Amino acid sequence: MKKLLVICFLLISFLGFGQSVSAPDSKSFLPSTTGQDASGFVLNGFSSTATLLASISLVNPPSGTTFVLNTTTGLTAASGFILSGNKTRLVVTGTMANINTALSSLKVNTGSVRGNVVLSVAATVNPTGYFYNGTNGHFYRPISTGATYTNARTLASQQTFKGQQGYLVTITSADEDAFIFNNVPQNTIWFALTDEASEARWTIDAGPEAGTLIKINNGQLNGNIPGQYNNWAPGEPNNSGNEDYAVTKWNGSQWNDLPNHFVNPYVIEFGTWTNPDDATFTEFYTNSVTHSNGEVLTARFNIDFGGNVDETKFSAKANTFVNNVWGVTNNTSRAISGLGKVDITNDLDTNKISDGFKATITPGQVEWSLINPYETSRNGHRLQIDERVFSGTGINLNTIKYVKLFDIYDGPINPMDFNGWWKQWVVPGNINLASKVAASSFQSNIRLQDGWYAFKADYSFSPVSVFKQHGIDIIANSQTELNTLYNSIVTVSDVFLAFKELSNGGIFGNESGNEFTSGIQFMNADVDGNGVFNEADTYKLLQHLTGAQPLTQYSALTYLMKLYSKSEYDAITKTNWNTQFNSTRSLYPFNLNSGTLNNTYNLNVTWVGDVNLSHSAQQTVSGIATNSMRTMSLSTQSVPNQINAYLMGENIGGKVVITISLDPLQQEVVGTQFQLNYDNTSLKFEKVEFTTKGNPTNFGTDRGSSITLGSLISDGSTTLDKTTEYKITFLPLIGINSILGLTSISTTDAVNKNGTQLKIKIN
Amino acid sequence: MKKIILISLILLVGCTKPELPTPTMPIEKIFTVTESKVTNGQTIYFDLPSSGTYMLTLVEISTGQVISREKFIGQNGENTKKIYTKSLPTGYLYLVLEDVNKNQLNKTKITIN
Repeated sequence: MKKLLVICFLLISFLGFGQSVSAPDSKSFLPSTTGQDASGFVLNGFSSTATLLASISLVNPPSGTTFVLNTTTGLTAASGFILSGNKTRLVVTGTMANINTALSSLKVNTGSVRGNVVLSVAATVNPTGYFYNGTNGHFYRPISTGATYTNARTLASQQTFKGQQGYLVTITSADEDAFIFNNVPQNTIWFALTDEASEARWTIDAGPEAGTLIKINNGQLNGNIPGQYNNWAPGEPNNSGNEDYAVTKWNGSQWNDLPNHFVNPYVIEFGTWTNPDDATFTEFYTNSVTHSNGEVLTARFNIDFGGNVDETKFSAKANTFVNNVWGVTNNTSRAISGLGKVDITNDLDTNKISDGFKATITPGQVEWSLINPYETSRNGHRLQIDERVFSGTGINLNTIKYVKLFDIYDGPINPMDFNGWWKQWVVPGNINLASKVAASSFQSNIRLQDGWYAFKADYSFSPVSVFKQHGIDIIANSQTELNTLYNSIVTVSDVFLAFKELSNGGIFGNESGNEFTSGIQFMNADVDGNGVFNEADTYKLLQHLTGAQPLTQYSALTYLMKLYSKSEYDAITKTNWNTQFNSTRSLYPFNLNSGTLNNTYNLNVTWVGDVNLSHSAQQTVSGIATNSMRTMSLSTQSVPNQINAYLMGENIGGKVVITISLDPLQQEVVGTQFQLNYDNTSLKFEKVEFTTKGNPTNFGTDRGSSITLGSLISDGSTTLDKTTEYKITFLPLIGINSILGLTSISTTDAVNKNGTQLKIKIN
Repeated sequence: MKKIILISLILLVGCTKPELPTPTMPIEKIFTVTESKVTNGQTIYFDLPSSGTYMLTLVEISTGQVISREKFIGQNGENTKKIYTKSLPTGYLYLVLEDVNKNQLNKTKITIN
């Protein structure tokens, strides 16, 4: 048992489980005020002895806004930064404890310009041999071993770091140039700039800026393209001896052109984004909070798409609900960042609409109204007002939608009916009436009798205007990419898990089964949305898998995605799932609360049919501990959860034949799925032939430009073995003597007898 | 007279401009460069050490997954094949030449746009 615990601990440590940066809630700062508390960022889960690299930044702050760390004990400023003073960005190294102490002393200084104050903190274990540029969020690795330019470019592109492919460093700003000058010890460093294709047309030829022309003539300043960064030494470039490649740190800090055969040091750059907040390095943890300088009406969203969805493939539009119809406020799509953040503040409709009247009581002589104790059946307190209060006011009783009862309650009310003289409303929720009355400053005007309280008060009425009902509409940027994504969401491992759950206890619908660990799994498996998970659902999932009938009639986001507030999502359990909202939608309604102008909304995403939650947000409360499939998903990187397959393509008798052979290793594989894409302008699908043992459900469905194929042994009675083979035949539509690239495999999935999702390594 | 005709004929033939060979562009063998851009249906050139069965394989760089393969009979020396790109993901791929025993003989990077 001890050994098992140790192995688990090591596994968790290896996966870096639990390392994170937590952020504080949003707040509003006072304008033109120094030293305002901005603490609340905390690094968690790192080794206490490790040296960490941390970046603290204000992202595009309003003019005059800065931050300062009052405590910097034990920290070292990274190159280009100093610890003391007011600043908008700081990169430091230090232990987790020292960084957390510094973060707890974080203060913000504001100017007179109001607006969003976005604070971002990122942290990772400080990697040896790499330099972090806090301005763009990229890592740089100097290579002192020299190489020719073309070799340096190739070698750089073959390196990966924290999940990012490297490239020969590009220099696109004076900041970046200075960063390299200050951090890279070597001189005469190759960087990705060349005029090899056309003399004197200097073009960036690596990284995200590849292809960007920055200069069209030789000479230090000749032909420098405005807006592009150039930093040539006097008289350079001059193409003296056919020099087609650029170096920096030439004779100081400037650039020169040299021929390829020179063997120079070079730098590999990692990171393709321009905003450090969009960094997607693995084991690089970041978080941010959007405060405001002064109160600003805002609508910002943190949308958790789960681990296997690229948030940047989606965008968002603001909508309002007017005359029972949702419509966009303007047609601007807002990009969703790599952290799932999107801000639609500028798209809000801030024109308020009339929403009836508010009745306000002030101390008086007559008990015109009373409020009753909380009633569960009404989920609120009955408020009764004598209808004679309204005589002569011209106010229609039905237009009273809000009330202010001294200092006891101030908010909306819902109309009921008449009871004699009494017109009745419900004050929603339990407002802890007794304690509110006990703390009231109007004791002499409140009388308790038989549990209800009477107010000796006069009434006045004022019109109320409110913001329109708003909604955020999530949009897939590309229908093709959405189709590809959804094909990878509902796969053979989801279908098998649904069958396994059904056979192990979930067959009676609301009964908790043995396989699902989360109520969200039941919701997603209940694909017909009738509140019961049963055979009908597994049948539909199987039909979807085999291509007989898709789960949804339309492949549109609104029929695939489920959106919840984070609090709603976290509250879904195995016992209450069928009483919760369980429909697909891509538009999430939200209210602009005028009492809290700085609105941040946290939304979670899950998908119909995503039974193993491979592409869904994790639940915060109990989901992490019990949601085993997410853990499985993480661990698919390790060898034990991997099986092998071999791909072969041949031109046999004028037909294109693709063969996929399976090697399940020691895994008890009960389900496989492959997506084989094909060029439908050159090939016509003919058939899939299966070689499988037992009686699996084999499927091969032509989707026009791809074939979905595989096998499922839904009862787990037998397993697929090494003889498993799929042979897919196409008829050529054109004369061909080569077939490479006419087909390609994209999505793969497999599942073993235990319901564990497996990675297929195609060799 | 006959002599004159013969001399004239010799002169005529001798003065005919010799046909110059048409210049040909040098062919770039794909495995001799580290990186190439490939378009749909593009012909690639490569050398084989001997006649026999070989395989051309496309591998995703980030995952190491094989995504497409062609088995073919090649000849000793220069060979040509086409690469089709419509079903391939955009970005970088490795193009690998293997022998029938799956031994890697050559490898280069290609870019699909």
